Amino acid sequence: MTPTLSIQNLTIEYAVRRGAVQAVRNISFDIRRGEVLSLIGESGSGKTTFGLGVMRLLPTMARVRQGSLLYRRDAASDALEVLKLNDAALRAFRWKHVAMVFQSALNSFNPVLRISDQFADTAHAHGYLRGNLLAARAAQLFTLVRLDPERVWRAFPHELSGGMRQRVMIALALLLEPQLLILDEPTTALDVLTQRNIIDVLKELRHKLNFALLFISHDLSLAADLADRVATMYAGKLVEIGDVFTIFQSPRHPYTTGLIRAVPTLTSDRKDLTSIPGSPPDLIDLPSGCKFHPRCPLASARCKSEEPELEDAAAGHQVACWNWRAI
Amino acid sequence: MTTTVAPLGVDRTWLARLKRIPLDDLRYLVRSVLKSLFTIWLVTTLIFFVIRLMPGNPVDIFVQDLLLKGLAYEDAQTQAASMLGVRLDRPLHEQYFEFLGNLAQGDLGKSYISRNVPVSQMIVQRLPWSIFSIGTALLISFALGILLGMIVAYKRNSWIDHLLTNLAAAMDALPSYLIAILLILLLCTVFKVIPVTMTRGAVSPGIPPGFSIDFFVDVLQHYALLAFVYILSRTGSWMLTMKSSTMSTLGEDYVTAASARGLSEGRIITAYVGRNASLPLVTRLALSIGFVVGGSVIIESIFVYPGIGLLLSQALYSRDYPVMQGVFLVTTIAVVLSNFVADLLYGWLDPRIRIAGEAK
Repeated sequence: MTPTLSIQNLTIEYAVRRGAVQAVRNISFDIRRGEVLSLIGESGSGKTTFGLGVMRLLPTMARVRQGSLLYRRDAASDALEVLKLNDAALRAFRWKHVAMVFQSALNSFNPVLRISDQFADTAHAHGYLRGNLLAARAAQLFTLVRLDPERVWRAFPHELSGGMRQRVMIALALLLEPQLLILDEPTTALDVLTQRNIIDVLKELRHKLNFALLFISHDLSLAADLADRVATMYAGKLVEIGDVFTIFQSPRHPYTTGLIRAVPTLTSDRKDLTSIPGSPPDLIDLPSGCKFHPRCPLASARCKSEEPELEDAAAGHQVACWNWRAI
Repeated sequence: MTTTVAPLGVDRTWLARLKRIPLDDLRYLVRSVLKSLFTIWLVTTLIFFVIRLMPGNPVDIFVQDLLLKGLAYEDAQTQAASMLGVRLDRPLHEQYFEFLGNLAQGDLGKSYISRNVPVSQMIVQRLPWSIFSIGTALLISFALGILLGMIVAYKRNSWIDHLLTNLAAAMDALPSYLIAILLILLLCTVFKVIPVTMTRGAVSPGIPPGFSIDFFVDVLQHYALLAFVYILSRTGSWMLTMKSSTMSTLGEDYVTAASARGLSEGRIITAYVGRNASLPLVTRLALSIGFVVGGSVIIESIFVYPGIGLLLSQALYSRDYPVMQGVFLVTTIAVVLSNFVADLLYGWLDPRIRIAGEAK
């Protein structure tokens, strides 16, 4: 089956005074139809840049150096090169095909417009429903995300709680039935119970509506709960990708292993908890060879000089590490 | 999908809102009116006493003027006393209560200098000129400032940004009288583009007021340079404020989200960036509109424009207490009123700031 979005050799840099920040380095992978893919990694590993890059919402100082983003709405339709869309086509593409819920969905709404107006704006921009039909469609979506339509529809954003706003945003994201929904740390600013609630809503939604979900997070437990597949990013590069069970039970990349060990579980002892030593590298002046080697317990001479590429560790499980067999 | 569709009544909620508001609004209104009246009384009282603390009184100044004309001191004093007919030797509190009593009846008194002309009549004569000249110039500079501020914010670090921002900062720093004098000097004396008579007064003598083309053209000719000076000196500050406001709005997540939603650039610029960025400026505009009633003392004086500002500066010079009190009172009322309107307007423009009683 053809993937919804096929990312090939995507490289994104930010031009700053000190040089080029290599935020996304030569990433290739597919987002399959209807799957939930969790993209995990530390802050500053390029996850958000990648998400914005897919929407082509990067700030002006960012440059897509190379790569391709091939999107197919369904298996039968022609592939669309997202990076080559002109302004008008891009505007039509956004939200209709790929929608995004931002890290700070709390501030994603224009504070002076009612929720209904912001739905109408979105619908109008895409020549979608209007008036009562739109209200009915919105009510349907609000019910799906467990909101009271009466309460939300005519409200101003500030009249809603953080969790409610986040769910309104998810409802708005689903308005045009996109095939891919990007969630960029959608629960970071919320309390644990509200987080749980949002995750439950998302789980329910993906069973009812069939769309692919790219879940960007540094919260491994949420990622594990929701995902079909997990991809780990380090220093702008994809270092491991595989299905959720493989990644959590037998990770092959020392960085993924480190991330998992850093999270407490209900059954484990406290002494099993370890943090990854060191800090993420400077994306302007990256270390030689494998970018993880200064922090890696398994680093060998080869790691310092040569950067490993993704290779198959098992069926559907790829890892970029010279020493994956040793883990 | 099998979910039920809840009805979303648009009209019903609107009606419900209407029904809910009155009581809260009424309380708010009564409170604001009382507060405003108190402010007006306080300012009026302060003005009453403060202007009397200024060195010299109307008689002294009048006597001085007569002395300068060569009159003997005794003659000057008798003449001044008889011409002004003012009894300034009465106790201050007596004068104050008389003033308040008259004010309560809507009587602003009569000018000391222009004998027997009621102050209210003088103000009514001058007011239209100030509102016309300074008012329109203010609106033009505001609109221009908003527009240029947004352009510069969108094109930041381009040549147009550097040019306009530096120009605006310079114009903002230059006092308006300097701009006025420089322009008069350049345009009327050095290059002789504009006849000097066009920079004096509001109309040329001999042109009858009325709905004639001659009159309108003449009024506009007299207005043009004055308005130009005002716009030059004020647009910069509007522009700089709008620029910084727009730039911070552009960094807001909801603007990025609006692009993500595929909204048209026009809709984003107007409803998402422009509207939010201009919010802080609306209050300032409303307040400035209040001050329009007071005219512009400096600009009107330079152009001898018969507005409230000129009236005030003349009254100040001759210590014409009733006229000063009248002008300050009218200005105070206008500022308080526009402040009140600004509050309402802001609440309407920005739903986050609604009147206190409405919050649950």
